Amino acid sequence: MQLASFIARRILQLIPTLLFILIVVFALVRLLPGDPASAMLGDRALDADVERINRELGLDRPLPVQFAVFARSVATGDLGDSITLKLPVTELIATRLPITILLTLMAALIAVVFAVPLAFVAATRRGRMADSAVRGAFQVGLSMPVFYLGLILLTVFGARLRWFPVGGYGDGFLEHLHHLFLPALTLALSLSAILMRNLRAAIIEVIDAEYVQFARAKGLRPRLVLLRHVLRNALISTVALFGLSIGTLLSGAVITETVFAIPGAGRLMVDSIYARDYPVVQGLTIALAVLVSLTFLLTDLVQAWLDPRVAR
Amino acid sequence: MKTLSIAALTAALFLGGLTDASAQDRGGVMTYGRYTDSLFLDPVLNDANVDIWILTNIYETLLNPTDDGLGLEPGLATEWALNEAGDTVTLKLRDGVRFSDGTAMTAEDVIWSLDRARNPDNGIWNFVLASVDSVSAPDPQTIELKLKYPDPTIFSALSVFNTAIMPKAAFEAMVGATDAEKAQEFAKKPIGTGPFMLDSWERGATMKLVKNPNYWDNGADGQPLPYLDGLTFEIIPDDATRILKLQAGDIDGAEFIPFARVAELQADPNVKMELFPGTRVWDVIINVRPELDGRPNPLSDEKVRQAMNYAANKEALVQVVTYGVGTPLSSFMSTTTPMHSGDGPLFPHDLDKAKALMAESGYPDGFKTSILTIAGNQDDLGISTALQQMWAAIGIELEIKQVDNASRTDQYRAGTFEMRTGGWTNDIADASQITSYFAYSPTIDALHSGWKNAEVDALFEASQKRWTRPSGRNSSRGSRKSSTRPGRPSRFMKRPIPWRLARM
Repeated sequence: MQLASFIARRILQLIPTLLFILIVVFALVRLLPGDPASAMLGDRALDADVERINRELGLDRPLPVQFAVFARSVATGDLGDSITLKLPVTELIATRLPITILLTLMAALIAVVFAVPLAFVAATRRGRMADSAVRGAFQVGLSMPVFYLGLILLTVFGARLRWFPVGGYGDGFLEHLHHLFLPALTLALSLSAILMRNLRAAIIEVIDAEYVQFARAKGLRPRLVLLRHVLRNALISTVALFGLSIGTLLSGAVITETVFAIPGAGRLMVDSIYARDYPVVQGLTIALAVLVSLTFLLTDLVQAWLDPRVAR
Repeated sequence: MKTLSIAALTAALFLGGLTDASAQDRGGVMTYGRYTDSLFLDPVLNDANVDIWILTNIYETLLNPTDDGLGLEPGLATEWALNEAGDTVTLKLRDGVRFSDGTAMTAEDVIWSLDRARNPDNGIWNFVLASVDSVSAPDPQTIELKLKYPDPTIFSALSVFNTAIMPKAAFEAMVGATDAEKAQEFAKKPIGTGPFMLDSWERGATMKLVKNPNYWDNGADGQPLPYLDGLTFEIIPDDATRILKLQAGDIDGAEFIPFARVAELQADPNVKMELFPGTRVWDVIINVRPELDGRPNPLSDEKVRQAMNYAANKEALVQVVTYGVGTPLSSFMSTTTPMHSGDGPLFPHDLDKAKALMAESGYPDGFKTSILTIAGNQDDLGISTALQQMWAAIGIELEIKQVDNASRTDQYRAGTFEMRTGGWTNDIADASQITSYFAYSPTIDALHSGWKNAEVDALFEASQKRWTRPSGRNSSRGSRKSSTRPGRPSRFMKRPIPWRLARM
């Protein structure tokens, strides 16, 4: 019951957040220098053509009117048509966003698979060789630029060893997974470095706590102590950090999608900003805002499960 | 007087392991790596090069430019003629042309396509046919264009992508109330007379073209063209990844090869790296308005601009930016433009002369100014940092401002920029288009520089309404002479068109 009201409360909080995002994104894209017609027509545009196309797009109308039209269509689930691609924005989001979500999920999974065991190794062998090696390796992972790391992986595992395709997305789910592995790994490395450092510190803090010493003194098996008492408690802050990092992962996907030639939402967003394609930028921002908000909600739920005090 | 020419490159980049067409191998699919996807496949309403390069595979025009870009050859029309008065064009349509859906191309399709292309409400390319008063068909195989005034560019205009022939009935059968709405539907599955047709299109990822089974032309072996079964375009935005994919053999060809990689790829035995002449011109545009932002503009001083031109070493710029692939320009247009003239370099590098001109100018102690470049564009950065050093020698402090393209276009169109890097490729095989933008002030204030010369404007206008040869043209010479005379500090860089895939 408590949990249900917690979820309901959080979803209600989402509504003003989204409304706020709606206004901000509407204003922000229009504050950018230039307009869709001149961005589309480029350097050779004639004034008359720019005016005609902006009029056709309804961009000559007063801003409050434009916002009212925009807000009303969003309320009915219509995000308008892309100015450059002449396709409904909802259709574009439906085809491009799942690719980015899959990439982000794979990256998050890989990051966790790397970070959790290694954090344990480093924390339980604090100050020893294994600890230094793990931390050193992740330092490198953290400081390497994504585009550079991506190219190295592509060259070695794609072009040379032929284990993975050199960029692209492929056809069918299994091929998608195959194509997305290297980009997900690229994205995951820096995230897992952050998670690993955080988790290692948390484990070190918990491992010396009195309740853990008490659990050990009770004679519980060390494995059980680590899993039930140490990990569960150490994970609380890491889960929060992980949730926050999803937003960062989504923005990191922009560069990764470019290097690995993946037709995801990140690239669509960048292209649309450059083209001043207002409807796409607005629609994608709203979709991403919902996505990130849902991730935060999920994070809170996991935290509440780990530490019931959170939901109170 | 408004621009700085940098250098010209008479080469273009094409890269790949393409099969030699003369061997007449048939079948197979060519996979080609593109830097970005197309947007909208309508020849009349589209605006972008990325569309044009695909459209030329799907649609065809009445006439085609020759391979060197300097002349015309038959397309969907086999004969073309102009009457004595120069106001009526007659074209004979090719027999047996079918659209990719199997229906025959008729004179009605041609009239409708040209009328749609010249409608002032449609797109931004209707100016190409501005001289046309009416289009009619005296008989089913003949098309007649009545002109409002003699137009020396009319035949070239009939080879421009927006005058491509589309099927009237199929287009009008689309759902939608307006031409634009019908075009949105039609462009999802275009029907043309070209050698290929659109099979599938995953936005941002892959576009597949397959051979048009109804294509009219035959190959060297007497069998119908095209030789290939299909063309697959893969979108690979990152230059390094695109080249890696080519070297790995995943794709057969790639576009937009950075100049820095040309020598490396020429040495690669698995890759055939070809350079061919293009119409690309690179320039630096100088705002010559007397005041900018309420302050006097030193760039309005002609002596200053001449000094800047002499101080800029174009040979060095060609080396820095293109690794020696280009050549300094001898005119503001490329040597591949019909009626190009000029044989010597404009403003050959001469630092003493530059210093002397600065001393004579209104700014003997130099000044501060800025150049707008595209953030992340290595070529822009190369040009601007080199110019920064070259102009420091004559007391000019150059600030490099990096912005995104739309922001730059905004300042450009408003005329509030000081300088910017610029580029040009011809759409029409004629000198008139580039001249109308670079020199003729009514189009866009001579590249929004504010430069205006009444004599140039008058000469250009006269050249656009007069034939000096019945079947060709050479009349814009006057306007070009005046715009490239020594007082005009033009310095341009010409660069290759990356690729042209019009005829496979």
